[in-house]
Amino acid sequence: MSTVPNALTGRRFDEVTVGEQLPDVALPLTVYRLVMAAGSNRDFNSIHHNTEYARSTGAEEMYANTSFLMSSWERLVRDWCGEAGRIRAIRGFRMRSFNYVGTTMRVLGEVTGTRVEEGPQGAVGVVEVAVRCEGPQGITVGPGTVEVLLPVDASYNEENTP
Amino acid sequence: MTAVDTGSPDWTEQWQEVIDAVGRDFLEGETTWGGDPVERGAIRRYLEPLELDCALHTDPAAARAAGYDDVVMPATGVIAWTIPAAWRPGEVLFDSEDRNAQPVHTAINNTDLGMGPKTTGFFGTDIELDFDREVVAGEQLGRRGKRLVACKPKETGVGRGAFMTWESEIVARPGHVADAEPEVVGRIRIGTYAYVPHPKKDEEAAR
Repeated sequence: MSTVPNALTGRRFDEVTVGEQLPDVALPLTVYRLVMAAGSNRDFNSIHHNTEYARSTGAEEMYANTSFLMSSWERLVRDWCGEAGRIRAIRGFRMRSFNYVGTTMRVLGEVTGTRVEEGPQGAVGVVEVAVRCEGPQGITVGPGTVEVLLPVDASYNEENTP
Repeated sequence: MTAVDTGSPDWTEQWQEVIDAVGRDFLEGETTWGGDPVERGAIRRYLEPLELDCALHTDPAAARAAGYDDVVMPATGVIAWTIPAAWRPGEVLFDSEDRNAQPVHTAINNTDLGMGPKTTGFFGTDIELDFDREVVAGEQLGRRGKRLVACKPKETGVGRGAFMTWESEIVARPGHVADAEPEVVGRIRIGTYAYVPHPKKDEEAAR
């Protein structure tokens, strides 16, 4: 399935405005959460669940793994767009500093661009969301871009079809 | 592999053969398949530490109503579901009782390039993903190829090493159908930093 079914609940393209802030997501990074994340996303690198080992690699503490951080961006976007959205790309997901256990990571997003593309099943809305993670010392991941496809109203197709 | 002399001012020269290998597919087009097909239970567990609530991922009826064959894998799950099995029957995975001993082999930690300096530290730095379509429960994912597209030696706060970028295609096939023709469903670029950690202060003092 390459386009967005119109019947799904959630945000529609014409409801989106550039500059719109997505509701933040706050994720306390406890040992418990990091261990659950490692078990479920299969990144068992000891730097993510073993303080002693993480320190032997030069880090201050164990820290959240890549899959978890990236999926936190999906959580932010999915909370905002609902079932109707489809994530088409993630770019600029750059990890600048470690997200250590014992801190709270906030995930923030802002709509930075919108456009309409013609797909095989008609027009589809493309929304670019700038996303970043922040810890106590500032930005830890990103800002990068999540590209989301959203359904456009049938009226858009009628008005824009020659 | 050669040992790294962390005190040498010319330590970056040891990375030259890796730099020269930029453009090479280290897997020569081979596909590395995830250890398991995408499964409903594994998706549910993936969502738990995220507290991510979306019926497309958890409710087969909702997913089918939306036009999918089964529940949809979270898009970012492409990393988790392309990780190979950690252990296979007959293998020994743990051979030491040391508290922090690492498994004999792992698909996550730094893999031996077969060239360049030996490094003991490793972490991911950045990722780019493109998704051509959703993946649903029952499909199996793999990464086809592993092309080195960049290598830049650099000393950082944690050690001396190199930033490298690797590119692969994401392919899918019906689960448990090993001879099915893989379909490209996306692409992934992964940045990594492989390094030799700086000596700790007490180790330096002992020198």
